[in-house]
Amino acid sequence: MIVPLALLGLASLPIIIAFYMLRLRRRDVPVGSTFLWQQLVRDVEANAPWQRLRFSWLLVVQLLIAGLLVVAAARPFLSVQSELAANVVLIVDTSASMGAVDPEGERIAAARSAARKVIGQLPVGGRVTVVAADQSAHVLVSETDDRAAALAAVDGITATQLPGDLTDAFALASALAARDADSSVVVVTDATADRLPSLGIGAPIQVERVGRGNRNQAIAALSVMRRAGGAQLDLFVAVSNASSADATRRLEIYADGALVDARDMSVPAGQRSEALVSTVPSAAGVIEARLAGSDQLTVDDRAFALVPQAGAVRALLVSEGNSYLESALALLPRLELYAIAPDGMADALAAADKDGTPYGLLIFDRYVPPKPPRVPTLYVAPTSDGPFGTLGKAVEGPLVGPTDPDDPLLRFVDLTALHIGRARTVNLKEPMRPVVESTAGTPLLAAGRVDGEPLAVLTFALGESDLPLQVAFPLLVSNLTDFLLPAVDGVLPPSVALGVPIDLALDPSLPSATLVDNGATTAIPLTGGHGTLPGADRVGIRELRDPGGATLGRVAANLFDPAESNIAPGDPRRLVEMGRAGPSDAVAQQPSRAEWWWPLALLGLALLCVEWLLFHRPTRTRLNRILGRGAAAR
Amino acid sequence: MTLAERPQLFDEAFLRRLEQLELASRRLTAGRMKGERRSIRRGQSVEFADYRNYTHGDDLRQLDWNVYARLEKLFVKLFVEEEDVTVHVLVDASRSMDFGEPNKLDFARRAAAALAYLGLAHLDRVSVAFLADGRASGLRPLRGKARVFEVFRFLSEPRSARLTGLAAAARDYAGRMRGTGPLILLSDLMDPGYLDALRDLAGTRCQLSVLHVLAPEELDPEVPPDARLVDNETGQGIEVTGDDDLVGRYRSRLADWQAEISAFCARRGGAYVAVPSDVELTDLLFDVLRRRRVVQ
Repeated sequence: MIVPLALLGLASLPIIIAFYMLRLRRRDVPVGSTFLWQQLVRDVEANAPWQRLRFSWLLVVQLLIAGLLVVAAARPFLSVQSELAANVVLIVDTSASMGAVDPEGERIAAARSAARKVIGQLPVGGRVTVVAADQSAHVLVSETDDRAAALAAVDGITATQLPGDLTDAFALASALAARDADSSVVVVTDATADRLPSLGIGAPIQVERVGRGNRNQAIAALSVMRRAGGAQLDLFVAVSNASSADATRRLEIYADGALVDARDMSVPAGQRSEALVSTVPSAAGVIEARLAGSDQLTVDDRAFALVPQAGAVRALLVSEGNSYLESALALLPRLELYAIAPDGMADALAAADKDGTPYGLLIFDRYVPPKPPRVPTLYVAPTSDGPFGTLGKAVEGPLVGPTDPDDPLLRFVDLTALHIGRARTVNLKEPMRPVVESTAGTPLLAAGRVDGEPLAVLTFALGESDLPLQVAFPLLVSNLTDFLLPAVDGVLPPSVALGVPIDLALDPSLPSATLVDNGATTAIPLTGGHGTLPGADRVGIRELRDPGGATLGRVAANLFDPAESNIAPGDPRRLVEMGRAGPSDAVAQQPSRAEWWWPLALLGLALLCVEWLLFHRPTRTRLNRILGRGAAAR
Repeated sequence: MTLAERPQLFDEAFLRRLEQLELASRRLTAGRMKGERRSIRRGQSVEFADYRNYTHGDDLRQLDWNVYARLEKLFVKLFVEEEDVTVHVLVDASRSMDFGEPNKLDFARRAAAALAYLGLAHLDRVSVAFLADGRASGLRPLRGKARVFEVFRFLSEPRSARLTGLAAAARDYAGRMRGTGPLILLSDLMDPGYLDALRDLAGTRCQLSVLHVLAPEELDPEVPPDARLVDNETGQGIEVTGDDDLVGRYRSRLADWQAEISAFCARRGGAYVAVPSDVELTDLLFDVLRRRRVVQ
C-alpha cells in the first residue's frame, strides 16, 4: 500500500526521457580536423530540436533512480495489526540510572530505540504524547499524529543525573488517558527504582524494559566536619556496591582539586564500606571524592563536600583567674579569647554589643550571671542555680563512672584516671543530659540545648581535680567547643540532593541573587529576601552570589541515591500492575502501518552514487588512475 | 619569432651533433655534382666498381697493367662515382596542422629545418616546400651549409591558414621536382586524398619517409559529454556524445589508419614514423628516426 498522491512524481520519468530526446546545446570543442571523427560519429543529426531516442545505460539508471525515489516518497507500507491504542502516552525514563552503559551500549540509546519502535507501531491515525521523566515529567510533544515530530522528540532525549520518580509522569499520563477511552501508556525504563509512583493510571500500561547488568559502585555518603576546635578535618566517606560481585575500587580524595588521599576500598556485593579520612588539610574549602576506574554508571562515582568555615569566634572567659582554662581555650584556633573578672562582665558585654562584635561564646568559671546570656555558654563549677539546673549539696571525692566512648563530647578523652576532690550535685533541667556521671549518679559533665542555645556544665572546679594535668583536658575543652559552636556555612546547607530545591531566607534588602552552577549563571528573584533555589541537575558545587558578586553561600549537590546506583533492571510487572488490567477491546488489534520506504531510498542513493562514479568522466578517470596505481604497486 | 631566431633549438652543440647524422639513401641515384653519395655512375672515387674492355680514347691511366701482364688483354678499371643527391623536405601547411599543444605546424617546421640542415651539411642538394591549397611552394634546391639560413628563413615565414588539398599539392610537387633522393613528408595526413598524395610522391623514385605528425589531443582525445567538434580547417562541426565508447572507437580507428599508412609505405619501400608533436626534436632525430633508418 502506498500514499497515491506521491505517485504524481512519476511524471518526472517522461520528463527525463524528453531531456534525452531534446537536442542538447553542445559545447564547441576545436579539433585539428574532423577527418577521423566523421567516420565514427553516428549521432550526427539534422538541426531538429528533437532526436531519436537511443538506448543508454545512463537513461536506464536515471529512470530507475527517479522511479525508486518516487516510490519511496509514496511511503509504501504494509498493513499490520497494532496492539497499541489510538492515543498513546510514551513515557521515557531519563533518571540517572538510564545513563548507565550496558554491554550493548548506552542504556538511554536503547530507550530511544525502543521508543522509536513504539512510535513505528502506532495504529493508523494514532496519536502519541512523548514524556521524558526524571524527578518530574517533561512533555516533549503532546498528542501528535506527526510521527516525524515524535521521532525527533525521542531523538533529543538524554539521560539526566537526577533521581527517578515516575509519579509526575503517571499523573500526567492519567490525565491524558482520562480524556480518551482508547488510550494506553508505554513506559520505557530500566525499572530500577524501588520507589513506585504513588498513583495508578486508568489505562493499560506496557513496559519496555531496557538495560542489562548491575556492575556499579557508588559514593553513598560524604561528609566533613571540623574537630579539635577547627584544627583538624575529618572526612567520612561511604562506598556502596550495588553489583552482585565483590569489588575493590580506588577512592581518591581531592582537596581544592589537589589529590590528598587515595586508598583501595573493598566493598562486598550488595553492601557498603566506610572510611574516615583525617589527612585533609584544615585550610581546604571543597572536598571531592572520586572512585577511580570504571563501572557502568559514572555519575555516582563523584561526590562533593564543603568544609565548614573556621572563622574565629570571640569568646569571653569570665573568671577570677584560671590559667588552666585560659591555656586550653587559647590553643583553639576557632576562638579569639578574652578574659574578664565577673564584676566587669556587664560592661564588657555592653561594649561588645555596641561595637557590633558580640561574643559568640561565654565561659563562666565559678560564677553564674543573674541573667542567662543568649549565647552558647560553658559553666565551670557553677556557684548558683542557672539555666542548666539547680545546685544541690557538695559531694566529696566522687568516682568517675562508666562513659560512652561514642559520645562526641568524649571523643579521644580518657577519664579513667581522673580524680576529683569535690563536686556539686546538679539537678539538671530538661533537656540537659549527663555526659559524665559519678559512680553514684551525680552528673560531673552535662550538656544540652536550652532555649535553642547549646550549653554545657562542669560540676567541679578545675582546681579541685587533676583534670587540667591530664592529656584529656585540652581534648575535652576542644570537644566542648565543637559542641557549643557547631560549624555553620553561609545561608545554604552544606549539601543537598540533586533535584531538591532550597528555600532561601536572605537579607531582605537584596532584590535578587545569582546562582553559579558549573559555570552557568542563573538569576534568582527574591521577595523580601525570600526565594527558591531550583534543584541542581548535576553533581557539583553551586554558589549563590549577591548582585555585587560577593559569595553568599555554597552548597554541594550530590546524587547519594541508592535506588539510582542500583542499576540492575527491575521487575516491570510492578509498573504494569499500576495500570488497568488487560487491554481494552478498542485497543486490541488495530491496523498499523509498517513502512518500508527507506530501503528504496537507500537503493536510490546507492544508484545515484554508481551513476556518478560510472558516468562522470573526470571522476572515472581519476578512479581508473587510482586503481591503476594500486595494481602497479601490487 | 622566426626559426633562425631560436638559438635554443639550433645551438652550436646541436648542430655539431646533427652533422654526425646523415639522411639514409638506400637507393643509388645519379647526382648532378660531386658529392658524398655513391652514384649509379662510374667515376673517380677510390672504390673499385668493375672492369670493361679498352676502347680507343679511354684514359690510359685507367688501364689495369697487372691484368694485361697475365691475360695480354687491355681492361679499364671502373670506379664508383660519388655524387650528391637531392633531399626533399615537404611540410604540410594546412590549417589542420596549425593545431595542438604543442602546435603541429611549428613542430613540423623545426623538424624540417633540422632535416634540411642535415642534408646541407652532407653536401646534398636540399629542396624544401610547403604543401597547401593544392599546390607546393618552396625554394629552389640549395646546396652547402651556407644556405642553411635561407632554409630557416623560408621555413619560419608565417603561413596563413589554408586548406590542404594534399593530393593536388603532392602531385604538383612531384611534377616539378628535380633530382631524386630522400623525400620526407611531414604531415598529419588529415585529408581525404592522403593515399593519392603518398602514391604520387612514392612514384617519383625518391625514397619516401612519412613523418606522421599528430598532436597529443589527437592521440588521446578528451571529449566532453555533450560536445560539438569544430574542424580547424573547414570550420564545420559535428555533434558527439563524449562517452568512453566514442573515445574507444576513435582510438581504434586511429590505430587502423596509422597501420594502413604504414603498410602503404612499406609496400613502396618507404618508412612511416608516427610522431607526436610533443616529442623532443633531439629524441626524434637521434632516436626515433635513427631506429627507423630515416637517418643514420
